[in-house]
Amino acid sequence: MKLIVAVTGILLALGLGTAAADSSAREPYVDVPMPRGFKVVSTELEGPVFADSRGRTLYKWPIASLRNGYAGDPKDKSACEDVVTTKTGGYMSPYPGGLDLPDLDKRKSCVALWPPVLADAKAKPVGDWGIIKRSDGTLQWTYDHQPLYTSHLDQAPGDVLGGTSLFRRGGDTPAERIPVGPPTALPPGFRVEGTLNGRLLVNDKRYSVYVSDADGPNKSNCTAESCLQRWSPLLAPETARAQGEWSVVERSPGVRQWAFRKQPLYTYIRDTRVMSYDGSDEPGWHNVFMQSGPRSPKSFTVQNTTYGDVLADRNGKTVYFYTCGDDSADQLSCDTLDSPQQYRLAICGGGNWARCHELWHFVEAAAGEKSDSRVWSIISVDPRTDRQVAAGQPGSLRVWAFRGRPVYTYSGDKQPGEFRGHSMGEWQGRRNGFRAFWIRVI
Amino acid sequence: MNKTFGVLAALATTSLAASVALADGSESIADTRTIGYVTTDLHWAFHQTQDVDKDCPEGLAGYGPRETFKELYPNGGPVEKTQLARESLKFFPRDEPMKFPYIYAKGTLGVGVNLDGKVGPDDYVSATGEQGIDNALQKVLGCNAQFRRPEGQLQLFGNKFVRTSTWNRTLIEITNVDSLSRSDNVEVTIYRGRDPVLLDATGEGVAPGGTQRIDMRWGKPIIQHLKGKIVDGVLTTEPIKQGIYPWAIYNDVPTLLNWRDMRLKLTLTPERADGLIAGYMDVESYYTWLIAWSTHHLSYGRLDPAEFYWALRKMADAYPNEQGEMTAISSALEVNMVQAFISHPEPIAGERKMTDAMH
Repeated sequence: MKLIVAVTGILLALGLGTAAADSSAREPYVDVPMPRGFKVVSTELEGPVFADSRGRTLYKWPIASLRNGYAGDPKDKSACEDVVTTKTGGYMSPYPGGLDLPDLDKRKSCVALWPPVLADAKAKPVGDWGIIKRSDGTLQWTYDHQPLYTSHLDQAPGDVLGGTSLFRRGGDTPAERIPVGPPTALPPGFRVEGTLNGRLLVNDKRYSVYVSDADGPNKSNCTAESCLQRWSPLLAPETARAQGEWSVVERSPGVRQWAFRKQPLYTYIRDTRVMSYDGSDEPGWHNVFMQSGPRSPKSFTVQNTTYGDVLADRNGKTVYFYTCGDDSADQLSCDTLDSPQQYRLAICGGGNWARCHELWHFVEAAAGEKSDSRVWSIISVDPRTDRQVAAGQPGSLRVWAFRGRPVYTYSGDKQPGEFRGHSMGEWQGRRNGFRAFWIRVI
Repeated sequence: MNKTFGVLAALATTSLAASVALADGSESIADTRTIGYVTTDLHWAFHQTQDVDKDCPEGLAGYGPRETFKELYPNGGPVEKTQLARESLKFFPRDEPMKFPYIYAKGTLGVGVNLDGKVGPDDYVSATGEQGIDNALQKVLGCNAQFRRPEGQLQLFGNKFVRTSTWNRTLIEITNVDSLSRSDNVEVTIYRGRDPVLLDATGEGVAPGGTQRIDMRWGKPIIQHLKGKIVDGVLTTEPIKQGIYPWAIYNDVPTLLNWRDMRLKLTLTPERADGLIAGYMDVESYYTWLIAWSTHHLSYGRLDPAEFYWALRKMADAYPNEQGEMTAISSALEVNMVQAFISHPEPIAGERKMTDAMH
């Protein structure tokens, strides 16, 4: 039997919900000193991020080791120049560099797409914020030695469309731009991982942290041997002090346990892998999210597959996102509708536009359907050009988009729970291709 | 009884009973008449010696992605007509015919099973002299460095993931066992396990005696039943019409191998089960498994995917479609397993048994 639930109930249906992460809770962060004109904005997917005075999200482009070289910014130096690159860099295996990049007549420079965050001549470093001189003599802000940029994709304050820290990297994945924010307010021994389900609290070894319904506010009731054989209280050192939403519970004289939002914290002894949801299968136990994830479209469903639970459309067909980064020295994204479409067409239809449309379908929004999220939106697409157009343009389709990029179903999936389009593309779909929205995997 | 503790008790009981049963060898299987194994290694089966020149007088495959690219585009060109054209061909291999020479393995010795019960001109002879071995896939793989032991990269990586990926945690449970030497009528059930394999003291080998819970949440489609017999310590099952065997590439590129007439032939001991899964592999399914590997990985062994597709099609030898094209290829997969205690979920009170695989 397939599991079909409306996405509004995803977390509860999967047992991942936690009383601690009510939908309005936001990830706490450290109040770091900032230069005048900058601020912190809470975002649905990335948590707290820095923004400039106009609300534009700030990004960094940390240097990444690719197969055949390095791309990105080393410390205190920008590699993003106002020069249009024309050739591939040959960073990906097995292809050589020096190939002509597409749409050169329209191609923009790195600086045009990723404007540096400029500092005026009187600006002074503040805390972890520094200033570097660019090759053209202008001054650019850095944070933690990483030059800062905004994205041409972010049009409204609070947009985080330029890049995400959500998906895995390595191998031939592009050197990506990722949002920059203040550190999450966490005691030592904890960290936060971005997931589609929310900002997941884990320990310093990335194992999931759980809470129990049986506990009271700042009181652990997991004291019997039967409970402690399966759940390991996260102990706090003698020097630990309550701060913000973090508190310390005294389990017994001298034995102290961390609590978050008044709920004592544990790891699950049977967890065998990092970022697991397995402990939430135990009745009354839940993963902990610093904040819940973006609300998926209400008409979407979750399907049970042989690989786990996947996001699907109203008919149960697996939903995919398309991701792409070119192989130039700039590592520019090619997954938006205003970027060169040759990359997507190569994968979705073997370079054949009609076949691409036969195989991969936009997920159309129903009449009157709206988004409850900044991350999920409804955009209008001209199906004759695949370009985004103004809402209401005759002949356009209203389609669902994730981070401003349309999502798709695959005609190779015949039944709910199939995911034949997953990983189709260059570097298993991570460089240029399609990936399914996994909510939870085995 | 509390449901959670009930499950734990059931796990403990299963484990203990099996432990006692196997403690002094196969004869005491009579206690449970059941034994389980977990997969640790998979290798595509073909005849191979240490002497590459003898196995492949024409050499090993020479046209991988790098070599074909260099020959096709010596002066480079637009990315969409070069790199992207080759990548799209990987997913749409029928768009162009085979362009480069492919080296097929020749020879008469082969590894596999006589699938059709006949001895034909293209069949192999096994190392023990058995005639009629059907393994046309051997011709495609035998002279490709990707698949040859011990250095074949797909095999090295693939087996790493067999041990680390939960998707690949494939179990078999043999029931109605009289003894591991001879049992006239056994039932074999394939499951997916939920637990890590039990590593031995080296940290690399897998030790017998681990416990595996059955994945009943996402693994039900993988549950399959076969009937068979054990003769002289060798389990031979009857074929099932449609069989699947999971083999993921990395944790997040899961693929299923689809077989027709799938059967098992395994030598059993109280600690291990080693042998073959054999049948007619669906060509498209095999190719999907192959291209789950990135072009980077396929380059290690000079394997150009689109060229490989046509080699598969050329050697396919079963299940013709309406156009008369063969859609499946006789093949075998060498499988190594170690004994594991398989824990079944406890039925919930008042509920009918969860699957027909429960005992």
